[in-house]
Amino acid sequence: MTCENLESGCWRLGFSEPEAYFLVNVMAQLASHYREDVAQLSPPQRAYWLGRGNLPPGTMPRQSEVQSAEELLAGARLELRSERLALAEKFLREFKAAGKHDPWNIDLDSAERDEFLAMINDRRLLLALDHGIAETDMDTDPSQIENEARRAAIFEIYFLGRFIFATIGPQLYRP
Amino acid sequence: MPGAKRLIPTYRGTDTTVCGGAPVVIASQPGTETSPDIDIEEKLREAFARGWTVVVWNDPVNLMEYVVYVFKTVLKMNEQDATRHMWEVHLSGKSAVAHETREKSELLVHRLRGFGLNTTLEQS
Repeated sequence: MTCENLESGCWRLGFSEPEAYFLVNVMAQLASHYREDVAQLSPPQRAYWLGRGNLPPGTMPRQSEVQSAEELLAGARLELRSERLALAEKFLREFKAAGKHDPWNIDLDSAERDEFLAMINDRRLLLALDHGIAETDMDTDPSQIENEARRAAIFEIYFLGRFIFATIGPQLYRP
Repeated sequence: MPGAKRLIPTYRGTDTTVCGGAPVVIASQPGTETSPDIDIEEKLREAFARGWTVVVWNDPVNLMEYVVYVFKTVLKMNEQDATRHMWEVHLSGKSAVAHETREKSELLVHRLRGFGLNTTLEQS
């Protein structure tokens, strides 16, 4: 995957054919997730969208003013789902319209590029929540994990991480 | 409307001081009444006080490089500060990344959560 800063201030994301098919599959799953009523999501996914994420118990403050701010924020966070659904659908539409997919390019403005990063990260975090993936799992060689679904989830998390690296590109901090 | 309760009262010719001494003059409006029960100075002080802290928590999946990018993008931190806070999150489990007014803190929490960072709001 490549990410090129165009003169117009836009960004051109470029994908090889396998990357493009993988990404479009991820976007289709994200679109399906964003379309779903939050009340119908699994408890960890619902917690993710209502602002708690995978915080350990006891880390949410108890003051009433903070709780009222949290309720306000939870409402605002849900609005992100429809914005992200629109961008996921843009990926699906442009992929379908493209005659060839090797390479496949898509142009995004700066706000869409940040949204794309956040969506890729949504997918990584939702996979981790669904499969109960902890820090120790991320330090384990994925090929050593016996459960097939869990192994696939960790591979996908890693692979999507490569997309994040490529998208941040020259702005990347290297520890 | 005569006798109607105002949510935000206006004070004729009243000066009040907030944010370290900067005067805020609220212009008088005809037909408005003062409400001595409401301490506008206190309300303004509360509104502008940087008594809210934005805390980012560690999680197993977010990439270090991504967290640094988000801190730079959302919090306008330089590379050095963003990196320092990222390591604090990673090693200590959390980092207080901003002390702001309630309104600004809520906006920052919203944006940080939008990028998938575990973020909470605390009142000092």
